[in-house]
Amino acid sequence: MSYSFKVAFKSLYREKWINLLSIFTVGSSLLIITLTVFFLYNLELITGHLPERFSMMIYLKDNLAQEEVQNVLSTLRKRPDVAKLKYISKDEALKELKETLHDTNYILEGLDDNPLAASFEMRLKKDFVNAASAAKIAGEIKKMPGIDSVYYGEKIAEAINLLKRSVENISLIIFLTIALGVVFVTYSTVKILFYRRKEEIEILKLLGATGGFIRAPFLIEGGAIGLMGGVLGTIGAFAFYIAVTYRLSIVIPILKTLVFPPGLLIALPLTGIILGIIGSAIAIGRLRL
Amino acid sequence: MIIFQNVSKYYDFHTVLRNINISIQKGEMAFLTGPSGAGKSTLLKLMYMAEIPDEGNILIEDLDIGSMKMSQIPLLRRNIGVVFQDFKLIRNLNIFDNVALALRIRGVAEKETKALTSEALKKVNLRHLADSYPKSLSGGEQQRISIARAIVAEPLVLLADEPTGNLDPGTALDIIRLFRDLNSQGTTIMIATHNRELFRGTGKRVLKLDGGSLVGEELG
Repeated sequence: MSYSFKVAFKSLYREKWINLLSIFTVGSSLLIITLTVFFLYNLELITGHLPERFSMMIYLKDNLAQEEVQNVLSTLRKRPDVAKLKYISKDEALKELKETLHDTNYILEGLDDNPLAASFEMRLKKDFVNAASAAKIAGEIKKMPGIDSVYYGEKIAEAINLLKRSVENISLIIFLTIALGVVFVTYSTVKILFYRRKEEIEILKLLGATGGFIRAPFLIEGGAIGLMGGVLGTIGAFAFYIAVTYRLSIVIPILKTLVFPPGLLIALPLTGIILGIIGSAIAIGRLRL
Repeated sequence: MIIFQNVSKYYDFHTVLRNINISIQKGEMAFLTGPSGAGKSTLLKLMYMAEIPDEGNILIEDLDIGSMKMSQIPLLRRNIGVVFQDFKLIRNLNIFDNVALALRIRGVAEKETKALTSEALKKVNLRHLADSYPKSLSGGEQQRISIARAIVAEPLVLLADEPTGNLDPGTALDIIRLFRDLNSQGTTIMIATHNRELFRGTGKRVLKLDGGSLVGEELG
């Protein structure tokens, strides 16, 4: 095995220009993957909190007795999809409205009765925050006795899911395309190296070398190109992160909240190694001994 | 043991070897002679499966080449040491690594590889060139390196294709002496040469090849 490593590293040095070119190509490709992961990770962090803010307003019929309100409350509490419930009485609703209107609350002057309905503000569990579940839950609650109407932001629930799904799909497409590109780059490089060492390979075969013995240095070389490309991509991604959070955030403060996924430091070089080895393995193919 | 049974080899419509029958006993040393183009190199190539016979069977140390699977070829070649006519040294490796390659392919431990390689280089009087690269060596030196690589793993069978073609008469006789030493230790050896001086007075079997056919046999 040490011989295979020795041959691989000698070849990496001897063919340094073609290898450097491959490392830079793999590095920049992996950088694009990193930026996609970086974007996805931060979007996940942001959208991850959105369901917690999603609430459903359940308006009660006017003049319900205290006992009836209690019945509604206990029925709602038993539901598996409810995360949080808050009762807002008619008076509290009016108080909130006045606070919201602030300077223009004079428009409420002259009202003899409180026109607002008592309500429950209901927060759903994270898994139920999607358009289909929210519509089903709202429909069920609407049929309950004492309920006047149910309001929820259908568009928001749909938008959250659509945004997440779209970003995930686009990221997957970008990842697969770039990964294919990395495999192709290492494939081409190793194919060239393989042809340059054709004579050496023929000699190895005549001396009784097995396919594994001949292949090993090429796989190591492909893996090393992937690893170095991965390290380069990680350095590039980290430099990008520093530039965005420390420099650009002076102009756009929200960028300060961006987080660098720590797993990338290991995942990226590892991805490089795997893709590099796959590219090399395809390049060598089946050896005729 | 090497056995050829009715072996023929054709290139396109040209017959290179015709109905060859040979039996070399285990531990025997034999010479194969004949003019250029007689088929000597092809006959050797058939033994390490660089060429496949079109007709007949070949047995090398109980291995039937005809029924051999592709995956068994490396095993066969690891049992055979070959001195190639064109040396087949790897340009990017130094002399030491070129010779050591035969052991590394066989998975010999590195410490043992170093000792055996030094020993083999000593046998061909080229230990001082261990760090040199093939292109800086003369034809004769490259040939001796090729010999060192063929003998370093102490193969069961040693095949040599014109092993003294680039050597002066004195060095050539040294190499033949080296082969005879190996033979006395039990290695089966077959040497293809058109140089009659190499086998004269050896008392070894000489097989005569001409136009692809075995035309005679004598003692050297």
